[in-house]
Amino acid sequence: MIGLFLAAMRFQAQVVRREPDYLMSLVTIPLLTVAFLAIMGNAGRADLAPYAVVGAALMTIWATALFVSGELIDADRWEGTLEGVLAAPAPYQVAYLGRIATVTVISFLGLVESALIAWLVFGVTFPVPHAGLLVLTLACTAFSMVGTASIMAPLFVLARSARIFQNSLSYPFYLLGGTVVPVVLLPEWLRPVSKAIFLSWASDLLRDCLRAEEPVAAPARLGVIVGLGVLGFGIGHLLTRAVFKRVRENGSVGFA
Amino acid sequence: MTTAAVRVRGLTREFTRRRAQPRLALDAVDLTVEEGEVHGLLGPNGAGKTTLCKILSTVLLPTSGTALVNGFDVVRETKQVRQGIGIVFGGERGLYTRLTARQNLMYWSALYQQPTRVAKARVAELLERMGLLERADDAVETFSRGMKQRLHLARGLIGDPRTLLLDEPTVGMDPVAARDFRSLVAELRGEGRSILITTHDMAEAESVCDKVSLIDGGKVIGTESPRTIGGWMSKYERVRAQGVPEEVRAKLRALPGVSEVRVEDDEEVLVSVDAEGAAARVLRTLVDAGVSAVSTSRPSLEEVYLHVIGDRGLAVR
Repeated sequence: MIGLFLAAMRFQAQVVRREPDYLMSLVTIPLLTVAFLAIMGNAGRADLAPYAVVGAALMTIWATALFVSGELIDADRWEGTLEGVLAAPAPYQVAYLGRIATVTVISFLGLVESALIAWLVFGVTFPVPHAGLLVLTLACTAFSMVGTASIMAPLFVLARSARIFQNSLSYPFYLLGGTVVPVVLLPEWLRPVSKAIFLSWASDLLRDCLRAEEPVAAPARLGVIVGLGVLGFGIGHLLTRAVFKRVRENGSVGFA
Repeated sequence: MTTAAVRVRGLTREFTRRRAQPRLALDAVDLTVEEGEVHGLLGPNGAGKTTLCKILSTVLLPTSGTALVNGFDVVRETKQVRQGIGIVFGGERGLYTRLTARQNLMYWSALYQQPTRVAKARVAELLERMGLLERADDAVETFSRGMKQRLHLARGLIGDPRTLLLDEPTVGMDPVAARDFRSLVAELRGEGRSILITTHDMAEAESVCDKVSLIDGGKVIGTESPRTIGGWMSKYERVRAQGVPEEVRAKLRALPGVSEVRVEDDEEVLVSVDAEGAAARVLRTLVDAGVSAVSTSRPSLEEVYLHVIGDRGLAVR
């Protein structure tokens, strides 16, 4: 199982190297970073620079999950490779999780890229007072992002208008995930919805890792991020099984 | 008692589409492929060949009936079925074209749960066997159609399957590659593998198969030896000739086994026969009458179907 997962990760890395369009969101991240930093600087809130960097990075990570990981199964369907994957004895879910994991890891380079842009363009640097917790939070965020993306991949196979559905999941989640604007600043009635999304917990904790004060209840918050990720894996697993059963029933494994 | 490689009984598959009439792709199909046998499924496009292959490879569920592969049920025992089969779906799709041949095969070998070291050796062996070793590290999108088809075959063999399902495997191959492919099928049979191969090419079926089932309109019309089907082909041979005088045409019409003598637009005479040896009698009559512009041709598979189905009194769709 682990061998298959690693082989699938390696395979997806090869795909990304051969198809740079998979990295499109890493091309747009400098624009987001510059825009956010410019607005915050002009508003006299240079202290919010870490928010801009984290916000741009999280938006990129989410967009990559949505538009790259989310399309992996459907892309196989278009290429005619899904039939072969389905007819192979290995658990296809593990293979797709491995591929999603690679995409997610690559998307996290956005954080480094965003920090670099902040430094190169605006000369902004910021200390990381809780580096250990930051690394841990990033790892938990990546885990949960893989779990959440495992819901998207089968969902977009099922959706009749997958593109519209995909697009509709971008900006609402940037907002509800508190990527740029912290959840506490959202209208009160929106906050419960936001709390059900792991991204809102992750973005809050990531920002807290960049502040001097000790983050409050960090282990519990990490637990929520991981818990919501596990829930994502569970839903993704059931959904993938249901979708594959359905395409085998209606004969739409391939488009040919 | 040995287990048949493929045993299909009453297999039916109906496709339902929104706002459209349901389409019956397979209609109560019975089929047996014995272990170690190369079995051809011969039929025109849309006959149901690919649908049957998809069901046998577990990527499509049947509407009713049963199908066992290597003794395992394709609906209830998918894991065991998948462990024992290799599939090759024809055409250009089904490969990761931006990746190299080696990268493709390494991923497929992972999907057949082979450890990396075993996979590397197996991939190299298959690339060599398929004549792709020199291009192993080139992107598949730069391959010719025939090369892609050979890579498909390598993929089908990656899991060292007992039973191979080859759906139109020679589509796009040039004649030399197709001949090499036939040698390969013979090798695979020599290794004791069972093979179900779909094709619409009679010559291919004749040269590689032990048995051939004719399929049309989702029904298996019959299973015969390739020799018998080859006999049908020659039985329904046609003779074309130019400059045939009217009295010779009349003589031809009177010959036993001649079903039709038709004069085409360009004064060419087309003689159709429906009995073995009749074509030879027609040729002799023409030569005796001094007609030298003569040629013979085999009927298309569809024409043979029509004859066979007609002879058996089945409805032709």
